[in-house]
Amino acid sequence: MNQIWGSMEQYSTLVWHWPIAVYLFLAGLSAGAAMTSLIVKWIEGNGKPPWDGLIKAGALLAPLTICLGLVLLIFDLTRPLMFWKLLIHYNFGSVMTLGVLGLFIYTPLSFIYAAIKFKPWLFETGPFAGLLRPFKGLLDKVGDNPAWLERTLFLFAVIIGIYTGFLLSAMYSYPLFNTPLLPILFLASGLSSGIAASILFGLLFFKSEVNEKNAKYLLELDLRVVPMELLLLFALFVGMYFQGGDKAIIAVQALTTGIWAFVFWGGVIGVGIATPLLIAITALKHHAYRVGYILLNSLVVLIGVVFLRLYILYAGQTFVG
Amino acid sequence: MGKQYRLIYDENLCIGCQACSVACRVENSVPDEVYRLQVHLHTKGEFPNLGMNFERLSCVMCENPPCVSVCPTNASFQSKDGLVHIDERACIACKYCILACPYHARFINPLKNVVEKCNFCYETRVSKELLPACVSICPTDALSFGDMRHKHSLVHQKSHKEVLVFPKAHLGTKPKVAFIPNRKGMKS
Repeated sequence: MNQIWGSMEQYSTLVWHWPIAVYLFLAGLSAGAAMTSLIVKWIEGNGKPPWDGLIKAGALLAPLTICLGLVLLIFDLTRPLMFWKLLIHYNFGSVMTLGVLGLFIYTPLSFIYAAIKFKPWLFETGPFAGLLRPFKGLLDKVGDNPAWLERTLFLFAVIIGIYTGFLLSAMYSYPLFNTPLLPILFLASGLSSGIAASILFGLLFFKSEVNEKNAKYLLELDLRVVPMELLLLFALFVGMYFQGGDKAIIAVQALTTGIWAFVFWGGVIGVGIATPLLIAITALKHHAYRVGYILLNSLVVLIGVVFLRLYILYAGQTFVG
Repeated sequence: MGKQYRLIYDENLCIGCQACSVACRVENSVPDEVYRLQVHLHTKGEFPNLGMNFERLSCVMCENPPCVSVCPTNASFQSKDGLVHIDERACIACKYCILACPYHARFINPLKNVVEKCNFCYETRVSKELLPACVSICPTDALSFGDMRHKHSLVHQKSHKEVLVFPKAHLGTKPKVAFIPNRKGMKS
């Protein structure tokens, strides 16, 4: 309708679109992959080269996915070429600034950590060996087990995983964003996607180097994180419902109306949570090691987490008080 | 000492003529299809028991502005007078403030590619002791603007006489724009 006061398009509450959801997914995945790699590495006996394929997969995924996500984020700006202003202006009350500062530390650390895991390829067998050789001494000085670096990386992986949740929850006029559980939910689903991606990547590209014991350990870990996500989602919506008023109405709307309710039940719950649990109690019963099903399991977990980020971002902006 | 600006919109005096919106567009060179200010008309009830409500949408100049706290580059900032402005040079147009604003007052200026909103015509008028364009043009005096510290100012007098409603007050943003709610006609 053509109103006297003009177009209402500007008043659409949908401001951030899918690139942001994909960034939230990739940042969570990166943090999860870094944590996964470290968790496997810290298992007794895994702390020396040749590194397990899963350690390598996680170490490689962490810097790659965070960089991919950041590129996506920069191109989502209306003025992408101005992104550097974000690096020199700080507002310590803004979650976005805090995220940038966290990434300043996290991203280089994830690169160094990956470099340690791919030392022979970087300096001997790879195509850039000649170019990179001068840096070998520097990396040798860091050593194979830099405890300070690994602990800092783990801490900042947790920070990156959790900040993506606070980025949304800081906006208090969006009831679905503004819940204290959202950062925890994003951290948990980030970890679960990181584990799944490491298994998938490890079994596809470093299969001969993957120790079955470690893969089983990660599968079990993921099977503990996925029910945790379900619990967090349950608590998030029930909690909103019990807050009453607008929040209760929005909790019900977000689960029952339109395409986003469908994405939630079909994508987030159906694909992302029910399917892996079903695979776990059937095909992978008694911790059977069936690679095909393990890959399928990882794939559905990943797709589920993409759906979760899309759902939270879009439903959060769609259902407002 | 900073000022305490207030803008009061009397829904009872508004006739929905949109002169304020046009004046705003001219004063601030607002491009087509985007708006610093809109006045919506809602007809309520059933004939012959009708009521018409007017609703003004614009930046409400929060005392606690969520757009300023989320802005990563301090491009959105609050002046010492408590007004919220945008430093176009620092804005990277990440749209965080557009999302965070509970009043949907912000938009991307398609010509400049920066975030823009009502600024009470600060640069061009208020800083020169003139009224904002929308206030000065309003044919029914539905809008009044001034400094609450001055006892003789229209906004001070109206604030004491009338019941004021601050939009989305429950969010704790403390707007400087207040409404005098409609008293006539059907309300729902």
